Amino acid sequence: MSKPSHKHPTHVERAGPPLIEMKDISIAFGGIKAVDHASIDLYPGEVVGLLGHNGAGKSTLIKILSGAYRRDHGEIFINGGKVEINNPRDAKALGIETIYQTLALADNVDAAANLYLGRELRTRFGTLDDAAMEAECRKVMGRLNPNFRRFKEPVKELSGGQRQSVAIARAIHFNARILIMDEPTAALGPQETAQVGELIKQLKAEGIGIFLISHDLHDVFDLADRLTVMKNGRVVGTARTSDVDHDEVLGMIIAGKCPPGAVPGPGALQGVAA
Amino acid sequence: MSMAATDNTQTPAMAQEGAVTRFLRATEIDSRMLGMIGALLVIWIGFDAASAFVRGGEGLLGGSFLTPRNLWILLVQTSSIAVMTTGMVLIIVMRHIDLSVGSILGFTAVCIGTMQVYWLGPLVGVGHPAIWIITLALGLALGAAIGAFHGSLIAYFGIPSFIVTLGGLIVWRGAAWSVIRGETVAPMDKNFKLIGGGISGITPGSIGAIASWILGLVICAAIVAMIYNGRKQRKRFNFALRPMWAEYVLAVAGCIVVLGVTWVVNAYYWPKGVVDRWAQQTGVTVPPEGMNIAFGYSIPVLIALGIGIAMTFLANRTRFGRYIYAIGGNPEAAELAGINTRKITVLVFALMGMLAAVSASISSARLDSATNALGQFDELYVIAAAVIGGTSLAGGLGTIYGAMLGALVMQSLQSGMTLLNFESATKDMVVGCVLVFAVWIDQVYRRRVK
Amino acid sequence: MYRKIMTMAAGALVLGLSTLSAEAAGKNICVSWKTFQEERWKTDEAAIKAVVEGAGNKFFSADAQGSAAKQQADIEGLITQGCNVILVVAFDSDAILPAFQAAADAGVKMISYDVLVEHPDALYVTFDNVGVGRLMAKTMLEKGKQEGDFAFIKGDKGDPNATFLFQGIMEVLKPNMDAGKIKNVCETFTDGWKPDAAQKNMEQCLTSVNNKVDAVISENDGMAGGVVAALEAQGLAGSVPVTGQDGDKAALNRVALGTQLVSVWKDSRVLGKAAAEFANMIADGKAAAELPGVGKFSGGAKGVEVNAVLIPPNPVTKDKLNEVIEAGWVSKDEVCAGVAAGSVPACN
Repeated sequence: MSKPSHKHPTHVERAGPPLIEMKDISIAFGGIKAVDHASIDLYPGEVVGLLGHNGAGKSTLIKILSGAYRRDHGEIFINGGKVEINNPRDAKALGIETIYQTLALADNVDAAANLYLGRELRTRFGTLDDAAMEAECRKVMGRLNPNFRRFKEPVKELSGGQRQSVAIARAIHFNARILIMDEPTAALGPQETAQVGELIKQLKAEGIGIFLISHDLHDVFDLADRLTVMKNGRVVGTARTSDVDHDEVLGMIIAGKCPPGAVPGPGALQGVAA
Repeated sequence: MSMAATDNTQTPAMAQEGAVTRFLRATEIDSRMLGMIGALLVIWIGFDAASAFVRGGEGLLGGSFLTPRNLWILLVQTSSIAVMTTGMVLIIVMRHIDLSVGSILGFTAVCIGTMQVYWLGPLVGVGHPAIWIITLALGLALGAAIGAFHGSLIAYFGIPSFIVTLGGLIVWRGAAWSVIRGETVAPMDKNFKLIGGGISGITPGSIGAIASWILGLVICAAIVAMIYNGRKQRKRFNFALRPMWAEYVLAVAGCIVVLGVTWVVNAYYWPKGVVDRWAQQTGVTVPPEGMNIAFGYSIPVLIALGIGIAMTFLANRTRFGRYIYAIGGNPEAAELAGINTRKITVLVFALMGMLAAVSASISSARLDSATNALGQFDELYVIAAAVIGGTSLAGGLGTIYGAMLGALVMQSLQSGMTLLNFESATKDMVVGCVLVFAVWIDQVYRRRVK
Repeated sequence: MYRKIMTMAAGALVLGLSTLSAEAAGKNICVSWKTFQEERWKTDEAAIKAVVEGAGNKFFSADAQGSAAKQQADIEGLITQGCNVILVVAFDSDAILPAFQAAADAGVKMISYDVLVEHPDALYVTFDNVGVGRLMAKTMLEKGKQEGDFAFIKGDKGDPNATFLFQGIMEVLKPNMDAGKIKNVCETFTDGWKPDAAQKNMEQCLTSVNNKVDAVISENDGMAGGVVAALEAQGLAGSVPVTGQDGDKAALNRVALGTQLVSVWKDSRVLGKAAAEFANMIADGKAAAELPGVGKFSGGAKGVEVNAVLIPPNPVTKDKLNEVIEAGWVSKDEVCAGVAAGSVPACN
C-alpha cells in the first residue's frame, strides 16, 4: 500500500474554535466501559474519519453526539460554547444530523414521511401538509437520486440504494452544520458509493463538518482530512490523513500503536508512542 | 414500468383481471376494503336467504336479515365495539396490545351509573339535564386517566403492554365489582339513556327522518368537496391526477352508499307500542292504519361514525397519527428522529381508555343499567375486529375504517346466527373460525400483491 | 357440580324450628368460610350468629381466604377448639373430604352449607335450585301468561345451573307445551349471563318473530334487565311478562314498575337461619336423618347419598314486594323509584 495521492484540502478553517469538541467523554453499559475518556474535535468544512474495530466504541461515541445515548461523563462544545445533548431532538436543534448504519427509516411509510419524520410540514390548520412534503421530497430526491420515482410506496419496498438516499436526504435537507455518517456506503454498489463521495465533497465545500465512520480505509483516506482511531473504547490517536499511511493506521487499529505522525490519545500503547 | 412489460404477456383471463386492477389503480380504492365490503354483502345476503327458509320476513330475499329494522339494530349493536376498535387499531399499529378495554368499559360504566343513581340524582334531582353532561365528562376523564396510567407503566417503566393490560383486565373488573358490590345500577338518567339509541319515555335516541336526510346530504357534499379539494392539491404540486371518470365514480359511489344507508335507517319506523304511548302522551290521534314515524340515524351510530371520522383524521392528517405509524414501523428510527415515543405511548393508551369510556356510555345507556359484567370479553371482539379489518399484529399497518368494517362483519355474523337460532356454542365456533380464516386470506392477499 | 334431587319435601317448616332448639345451651357452633371477601357471606354470618347465640350457644368462625389448604387447617383447628357442629362453605369440595373424615372420627357433626361436600355423615343445606326454575315457570303460569309464544333466555352454556334451571322450567311448562298452548319461539344461551348479551339475543328474537312474543323466561335478573331494555325499544315492556331471579335491586324496581313479573329471591338470611337452627338441633344430639324436612340427596359428582335439606326460595312479585322491604334487603325508595303513586301497595 502506498501513501494516498489525495492530499488534504486547503479550505478547512482552523482559526476559530472547533465546530464540535467532545471532551473526555465516557459511557458504560452494565459495568463495561464502551467509551472511556475519549476526546475528538471537528472543524467547519472538515471531514474526520472515525476508525476502529467493531466494538471499539466509535458508534457509541457518535451516538452520544446524536443524542441516542446519554454520556456518563465529559463535555460537548459547539463553536466553543458548552451544550447539553440529552436526546435526538436536542441534537437536531443544534444542527447535528445523523445517517445511521441501520438507516433508521420507518419502513411502513413513504419517502416524504421519512424525510420529514419529526418535523412535518403543516397547513395553517395544523394538519399534515402531505402534498407540500411530497413536493419538497421530489425536489431533494431529484438532486440525490434523479431516477427515483417511487414516492407513494412505503420505503420497505425500495432498494438498498434508494433507502440510503432517503436517509441521506433526511440528514442534509434541514441545513445541518454537523453531519454524522455511520458506514454510509456499506449497502451500496461502486457507482452509488462514488455518488456519496461526491456528495461529501459538495457538503464539505458548503462548510459542513462531517464525522465519517467507516471500515473502509480507502474511503477514509479519499474523503477525510483527519482521522481518529479508537480501540477498546479509548482514542488511540488522531492524525492528518497526509501525515500517516495505510499500514500505520492499520497498526493503530489492530495494535493500538500510535505512529510518529499522529497525536497519541489515552488508548495508545504505552512506551511505543514516543 | 414493469407493469407495462408484463401486460403484453397476459392471457385473456388475466386481461380481465387487468381491467379490475386498472380500475382500482385509477380510483385508488383500497382493494382490501372492497374485498371486505364484498364479504359483508355475501354474509348479509346469505343470512337473509337462510332466514327466508327458516321463518320468512320482509327482507330483500324474503328473510328477516335484510330488513331496515334488523340493519338498524345491527348498526346500533356494532357501535360500542366499533368505537373501541378505532383506538385498538392505533395501539396495535404501535406494536402494543390492550387487553383491558372490556374491564375499563365495565368500571367506567358502573362509575357513571353510580354517579347518576346514587350521587348526582339525589343531589340535583333525578332527570336534571346537568346529570348526563357531568357524568359523561367525568366518565370520559376517568377512562382517559386509567388509559394514561397503563400507558405510563408501559412507556416509563418498560413493562410490556400485554402484561400491564392483562393486569388491568383483572384489576378493573374487580374494581367494577367493588364499586357496586356486584349489584346492578339502574335506571340510568333519562337524557343519558338516549346515547344508547333506545327510547326514553317517548323521546327516541335517534334523530328522525328529516335530520337524517339532511345529514346524508351534508356527508355527500363533504365527499364531493374532498374529492375536488384533493384534485386541486394534486394540481397545485403537479402530481399525477386521477382520470376524470374515476373521480366521478368515487363521488357517485360514495353518495350512493351514504344516501342508501340513510334510506335504510329512515325506513325503520317506531314500533306500534311506542307510537301508541307517544300518541297517548301527546294527545295525537293515531289513524287506524297506524303511523309511520321513522327512527333515522341513531345516536350511538352517529357517535361511532363521528369517532371513526375523527380518528381517521387523527391517524392520517396529524403529526400524532404520523408518529404512531412511524413508531409501529420502526420504534428505534422514530426515537432517533426525535419523536417522544414515550409521550405518544401514554397518549395513545389514554385515548384508548377514553374510547372505552365512550363505549361504556353507549352500552350502559342502551342497557339502561350498569353492571360489573358489562363489557366482559369485549377486548377479544375489539382485537378480533381490528385484525379482521386488516390490522397487522406485527405493527405499523392498519386502518380505522378497516377495523370498523371488521366490527360490522363480526356483529353481522353474530346477529345473523342468533336470528337463525343457532346454538351459542356453534356461534362461538363460527366466529373463531372466521377470525382465523380472515387473517389467512389477508396474508395470502398481501403476498399476492407483492 | 351436577346435582339432582332424589326425594325431597322441603316445606315451610323452617319457620317453626327455632323453639325446638331453645333448650340447647353452651354448645359450640362453628363456621368455616371459603372466603370472606365476597359480600354475601357477611349476610349469612350475621343470620347464623344471631340464631346460634339466641339459643345460648357460642359462635366461632374461620376464613380460609380462598385456599383449600388453609380451609383444611381451619377445620382441624375448629375440631381441636371443641366445636360440636361445624358448618362448612367448601372452597374445594373434594380437597376438603379428609377434613370431614377427621371431624367424623372426632365425633364432630358437619354441615355442608350452600356447597355440596359428598361425605355420607354430613348434612347438606342449600337452596332448592331446580325449585327456582319451577318457581319461575309456576309464577309465569299463575300470574303471567298460560299460553302463547314464549322466549327463553338461558344463562351461560358452561354453567350447569343454566341447564339445571331450564329443567325445572320445562317440568312445569311441559303440559301446556304438549297441549300446544305454549310455543317455544326463541331459546338461547347467554355468554357469561351478560345483560348486554341477553339484550342482543332478545333483539334478534323480536326481529325474527316480528315482535310476536307473549312471555319471556329469563333465568336471572341481570339478563332480565337486558330483555326489558330490548322490549322497551319495541314498546313492549310491561305488556310482556319477564321472569328473573336473585332479588337484584334494579329487578325489584322493575317488578314494582311492572316491566318484570317476578324475581325469585334466595334470601341468604333464610338459608343461614335454617342452617343455624339445624346446627343447634344437631348439637343437642338430634340425628341428621330425623331433622324436619330432611331428605336424601345423591346428585353430586360422585353420587354419594347424603342427608339434605333444600330450602325453597321466595318468588317476589308485585304483591310481595313488602316482604323484601320488611326484611331490610332493599329500601322502599330503591324498590319504588319512579313508581306511579297508588299502583303498587308496597310503595304506598
